[in-house]
Amino acid sequence: MSYALEIENVSKKYKDFVALDNINFKIEQGDFVGLLGVNGAGKTSLIFSIAGINKFSGKIRVMGYDVVKDEIKAKLSMGIVPQEVAIDSFLTVHQTLKIQSGLYHVQNNEKWIDEILERLSLTDKKNTNTRALSGGMKRRLMVAQALVHKPPLIILDEPTAGVDVEIRKNFWEFITDLNHQGHTILLTTHYLEEVDKLCQKIIVLNKGKAGKQQTKHEFMNQSFSFDKTLQVTLVNATVPNELKQKVLNQQQNTYILELASDDDIINILNLFRQQNIKIENIEINHKSLEDIFMQHLGR
Amino acid sequence: MIGFNALLRREIRRFLIIWVQTILGPLTAAFIYELIFGYVFRNVSTGIEGVTYATFLVPGLIIMQVMINSFANTSSSLIQSKYNGNIVFLLMSPNSPALVILAYLVAAIVRGIVVAFAVFIGVCWFSSVMPYSFLISMFFLIIGAAICGGLGIIVGIVSVNFDQIAGFQSFIWTPLIYLSGIFYNVNSFAPLWRNLAYFDPILYIVEGFRYGFIGEATINLTFGTIYLLFLAVLINFIAYVLFKRGVKIKY
Repeated sequence: MSYALEIENVSKKYKDFVALDNINFKIEQGDFVGLLGVNGAGKTSLIFSIAGINKFSGKIRVMGYDVVKDEIKAKLSMGIVPQEVAIDSFLTVHQTLKIQSGLYHVQNNEKWIDEILERLSLTDKKNTNTRALSGGMKRRLMVAQALVHKPPLIILDEPTAGVDVEIRKNFWEFITDLNHQGHTILLTTHYLEEVDKLCQKIIVLNKGKAGKQQTKHEFMNQSFSFDKTLQVTLVNATVPNELKQKVLNQQQNTYILELASDDDIINILNLFRQQNIKIENIEINHKSLEDIFMQHLGR
Repeated sequence: MIGFNALLRREIRRFLIIWVQTILGPLTAAFIYELIFGYVFRNVSTGIEGVTYATFLVPGLIIMQVMINSFANTSSSLIQSKYNGNIVFLLMSPNSPALVILAYLVAAIVRGIVVAFAVFIGVCWFSSVMPYSFLISMFFLIIGAAICGGLGIIVGIVSVNFDQIAGFQSFIWTPLIYLSGIFYNVNSFAPLWRNLAYFDPILYIVEGFRYGFIGEATINLTFGTIYLLFLAVLINFIAYVLFKRGVKIKY
């Protein structure tokens, strides 16, 4: 059985800027893979290369079809939701999906279109002009467009940005069902809890380079350091300079600090006491996917 | 062909939805041209015996609107898709560049035909002229729309904003149109302008279409037909190559 997606020695340059630097990985059919990376890591460049929008060097195969030599078959095998919201403003939701179906050589798929609209909570907008949709609705319509031809490989580039919580839940139930039916999913998102909950495997892109593909378990258990973190909320203060290197994450006065050992907790608290820094709240947590991801990037 | 049909349907629907701008607009413009110029220049000689200025103007106005609209159909659709970003859905779709270009081109020709009939309804009140040969008129209409539609595809692909399209229309398109004998017999031009006009392909489209209406031509249409066929193939081949290579649309 061929892989759902094979990326071999793929590089992409924009003038002097290297967006993708010799990327290699393979995704097995039926997998749900998270592609992680900060803004500018190369995720969208990679997705556009797979889609046939970017020119690149190397080889990309979708369901065994080379995206350059067997372009049509490769494109029929995948559905992509681009990151940027871009909808044809002349059409209604239903017209958009009918034309999209035609572009993917599919006819008489009314039942499937109705099901997609239902699962994406767009049924009541079926005959609405796309101009009248909210940002979140437009994004869901783009997802619907990517699914009209039931592609074996579904690539989602931040599909839930701007989508509210309840609809996001329905959306992921739909995508999970599709995955259980055998569709392979490649997901990029800034909501790492979604990756944590949904993805079986993770690939990290950093400055155009891809890390090794790992199962989520492997990724979470990689031995960067001790697996606990200390979360402290300070009263009108910032962490001392000595601790700045340990900061994994910060939101206002709340800091998540990396720990090297249990003794580190005592050392850190002592330092706060010596510098008269008052603590409003303190928690010891196991590292989240986000903490490990930030460590992976060396931040 | 399902992909071709879908894209063609989308492009036709696009101009039909905004029919006030795309159909009623050309009809009104042509009506006003005929109303004013037909009256003001009613005593001007057309250089063709028995043909009044109002009659001379009817086919000119029709084909002018055909050319303007077939050019606008492709160029505006492409630049809007690029501007909105939804061109990615076209680029991601499993359709060959040749089919994509053909769908855009056929949609431009369909718009040209629809506009031609609409404009005819708008100006037929000023002259009793009916096509001398419907087939010849349609031939030059289709070839004119194909040339202008193809040109619109090229301009839509290479332009990065609406200003560049407007620049093309103002500095290249409009002079070519006004030099093409829509409003005057080119033989009445000064020698320099007349010789320059012979290089203008639009002249042959206008003269060919007018011949289909009044059965008289003021230039050599055999040469004109060959020249137009050659240009139609060349322009659309260039459009195909640009799209296939992804110039200014793939990075």
